[in-house]
Amino acid sequence: MKEFSESKLEILLDTALKPARYTGGEMNAVIKPFDQADVSFAFCFPDSYEVGMSHLGIKILYHIINKQPWALCERVYMPWPDMADALRRENLSLFSIESRTPIRKFDILGFTLQYEMCYTNILEVLDLSDIPLHSCDRTQDDPIVMAGGPCAYNPEPLAPFIDVFQIGDGEEMMLDAIDCVRKCKAEGKSRLDTLRALAGIEGIYVPAFYEAAYHEDGTLKSFTPIDQAASPIVRKRIVKDLDKADYPDSFIVPYTEAIQDRSVLEIMRGCTKGCRFCQAGMLYRPVRERSLETLLKQADQLVNSTGYEEISLSSLSSGDYSQLTELCCELTQRYADKKVSLSLPSMRLDSVVKQSLEELQKVRKAGLTLAPEAGTQRLRDVINKGVTEDDLVRAVTDAFQSGWSTVKLYFMIGLPTETDEDLAGIGHVAKTVMNCYFTVPKGMRARGLRVTASASTFVPKPFTPFQWQPQDTLPQIREKQAKLKDILYAIKGVNFNWHDPELSMLEACFARGDRRMADVLEAAWKNGCRMDGWTEFFNYEGWTKAFADCNVDPAFYANRQRGEDELLPWDFIDAGVTRAFLWREWQRAQRAEVTPDCRKGCQGCGLQRFEGVCRK
Amino acid sequence: MKMLVVFEKFPRIRHIGHLDLMRAMQRALRRSGLPVKFSQGFNPHLLLTFAAPLSVGMAGKREIMEVPLGSDVTEAEFLEKINAALPPELPCLSARIVDDKHPASMASLYAAAYEIAIDSEAEALRNAIPSFLAQESIIALRKTKSGEKMVDIRPMIFELKASGDNTIRCTLALSEAATCKPDLLMDALCAHAGLAARPRTIITRLQMYGKDLIPLEML
Ligand code: SF4
Repeated sequence: MKEFSESKLEILLDTALKPARYTGGEMNAVIKPFDQADVSFAFCFPDSYEVGMSHLGIKILYHIINKQPWALCERVYMPWPDMADALRRENLSLFSIESRTPIRKFDILGFTLQYEMCYTNILEVLDLSDIPLHSCDRTQDDPIVMAGGPCAYNPEPLAPFIDVFQIGDGEEMMLDAIDCVRKCKAEGKSRLDTLRALAGIEGIYVPAFYEAAYHEDGTLKSFTPIDQAASPIVRKRIVKDLDKADYPDSFIVPYTEAIQDRSVLEIMRGCTKGCRFCQAGMLYRPVRERSLETLLKQADQLVNSTGYEEISLSSLSSGDYSQLTELCCELTQRYADKKVSLSLPSMRLDSVVKQSLEELQKVRKAGLTLAPEAGTQRLRDVINKGVTEDDLVRAVTDAFQSGWSTVKLYFMIGLPTETDEDLAGIGHVAKTVMNCYFTVPKGMRARGLRVTASASTFVPKPFTPFQWQPQDTLPQIREKQAKLKDILYAIKGVNFNWHDPELSMLEACFARGDRRMADVLEAAWKNGCRMDGWTEFFNYEGWTKAFADCNVDPAFYANRQRGEDELLPWDFIDAGVTRAFLWREWQRAQRAEVTPDCRKGCQGCGLQRFEGVCRK
Repeated sequence: MKMLVVFEKFPRIRHIGHLDLMRAMQRALRRSGLPVKFSQGFNPHLLLTFAAPLSVGMAGKREIMEVPLGSDVTEAEFLEKINAALPPELPCLSARIVDDKHPASMASLYAAAYEIAIDSEAEALRNAIPSFLAQESIIALRKTKSGEKMVDIRPMIFELKASGDNTIRCTLALSEAATCKPDLLMDALCAHAGLAARPRTIITRLQMYGKDLIPLEML
C-alpha cells in the first residue's frame, strides 16, 4: 500500500518542475475539515493543473458540491510525469490539492472526460492512488469512481475502469449522485447495492450491469442489462432552466498562469445551428439561455471575488445569444473603471455584430477567430456550416475596419465527400481574408496583418450525422496535409498549422470504440503511454504495440463504413437527438442540402420528446 | 498617499515565484475594492512595488510592498479589506500610511535576516561556523548572467549563528551595492565544513533592514 507523508512530499516539491502545480493555497479554494463531511468527492481533471484549472465544468460542480454543508469536494490533477515518477519512486500516494488527503480515502473519485486523449491519464491517476484499475476488483474501502462530461456519451472504452457514468448536464445529477452515496454510506450498504441505488438515478449508467455480445465480423450483436437495477436505455439529464441552475460566485484563482486565467460567464448552453460534424452541438441541445439579469449578477460576483482582469463569454455560439449586444455594452461600461476587459471567444462568422465589436475594442483587441471549417460552399453545405463567402468577407472586413489585424482560421480536413477542390478552397479562403485586409485603407486598419490557418483532422463522433462514416486513413490524411502545405505556403503571409494524424486516428478509435478498446487502453498505459495530448509525451509506438498485443485493428474503429442497421456501442444512450434524425441528416449531407437553424423552425431532432425543454 | 505593507508568505506556497506572487497581490487588491491606482496605457496594470523579490522556494515572514492609493484609507481599513481578499497563506500583517515622497523601500534596503532549516549534517555545519567566520575573507563563486564571478562574502555576513539544533540564522547584505544570497552562504559554509554535497534546506526570510539594521518597515 502506498503511504502519504507531507514531509516526503515537501522534499519532492523542491525538485519538481513547477511545484506550484501541487501546493494549493489558492484564493477561493474551499477548505473544509475532511473528517466532518458526510461524503467526500475528489474531482479529477485528468490532465495537468494548468489545463484542469481552466475548465469551467469543474468550477461549477466544485462550487455546487461544496455548497452542501454535508459534502466536500477537493481537486486533483494528473501530476506532470516528473512528479508521477517521483511519487511512484517514493511509494507516495497521489493526494488532493486542498487537504493533501490520499485519493483513496475519498468516498468518490470523479473524472471529467473532455477529450479522449486523456484516458491513459485516468489509469495513471488510479494507479498512483492505489485504487484498483478495474471496477470489479474494487472493495468497500475504495472510492466509487465516477466520470462525466462529453466523452461519457460513449463510455464503452472506459467501461471496465469506471463504476458510474453521469450522462448529461451535471448540476442536478451530481447532487442526486452524491446524496445517494451519502445515504447508502449512512445505511451501511454494500458497494454493489450502492451502485444499484445509483443506477436508479436518471442519467446514470453503471457499466458493470450490462453485457455486450459481438457478431463474428466484430460488430456489436447485443447490449443488454444483466442486473435488475439497470434500465435498457439511459437517458441524458437536462437542466431545464439555466437561470435557476447554480453558478459559482467565485472561481479559484491560481498563482501560476492557467490556460484560461479569467472570469467566465456561461451565457447559454446548446446550439441550434446543426453543424453535422459537431458533437457538442448535438449533445448540449436544446438551447437554453441565461437571462441578461442573471449574467450581470454573476459577472459582478466574479469580478469582485476573483480580481481577474478579463471576462470571457462561454457558449457554443456566443454570436447567437439573443441579447449579445446589450450584454457586451453593459459589461464593458460597467467595468471600465476597474479595467476589466471583455473577450469574445470563437465567434461565428454569420453573427459578428459590428456594434459590439466597436464596443469591445475600447478595451482590448484579442485575435479574431473564425471557423469556416471547409474551403468550398459545397462542402460547407455538406457539413451544414451555414456560412457563405459573403459572410466571411463581411465579418473580416468589419473586424479589420475596427482595428483587428490577427485572424485565425480553423478548417477540417478529411470531411465526408471531400475532394481536391475543397482543399484548394482553403487556400482561396485564406487569400480572400488577406485581400479584405488590403481593401481597408491604410489609415483605417491596424498594422501587422497575421493570418493563421489551422487544419485539424476530422474525427467522426457518436451522436452526429457522421457517426457511421469512416475517418480518412493515415496515408490519406498525410497526403492531404502535404497538398495543403503546398497550397498555403505559396501564399505569402499565411501561417499554417496542422495536427498529428496519429493522434486524430486514436481519437477516432476511442470516440467510437466499444469495450474491446479498453484492453488497448490498458495495454498502452502499461507500455508507458500517458499525457498523450502533449506532443512531448505522445508515444505512438506504445499505442501500435498495444493494438497488436490485443489483436485489435484500429481501422475497424476509425476507417470502417458502418451500416445503417449496425448496432452502435452508444445506442443504449438517449442523448436527445434520435438515430432517425441523425440518419436523415446524413442523407441530406450527401445531397449537400442544408438544414436551417432550428430556432427558425423545429427540425424534429428528438429533443421535442423532452418535456418542457423545446418550446416548439 | 502610499501604504507601506508588511505581509507573510507561508512555507506552503514558497514555490510561488515573484511574478506570480505579484500578480496574486494585484488581484487581491482588485478584489479588495480599495482605491488602487492603475498605470496608464494599453494594458493598464496595478501599481505596486516590492522591497525585494523573494526567490522561488523561499518563505517570508515580513515581506514588504508599497501600494499607491488614489484616495484616503485608514490603515485599519486597508488591512481589513486586503486580508479579506487574500488567501490564508498570504496575510498582510501591518500597514502604514507614508507620504508619496517617502523613499522607496527598495532604495533603503541594506540587509536581510534569514532562517535556514537544515535536513541533515546540521551538527557539522553548526560546528563549522566559528572557524568559518574567523576567516578574513571568504571567496565564493557567484553565478551571474555573464558567467561566474569570485566575490568575497565575508564583509556581507553581519550575523551567522545556530539558532536551534537544525536551524541557522544569518543576516546578510541585501542592497543594490552588495548582495549575498543565503544560497551562496550555504555553499561556502558547506565547502568549509568539508561536506561533499549540500544538504536540503528550507530558507525563510525573516526580516529586511535598512542602514544600521533598522527594520525596513520602520524607516
Ligand atoms: S427539438 Fe426541434 S427546436 Fe428543439 S433542438 Fe431539436 S430541432 Fe431544434
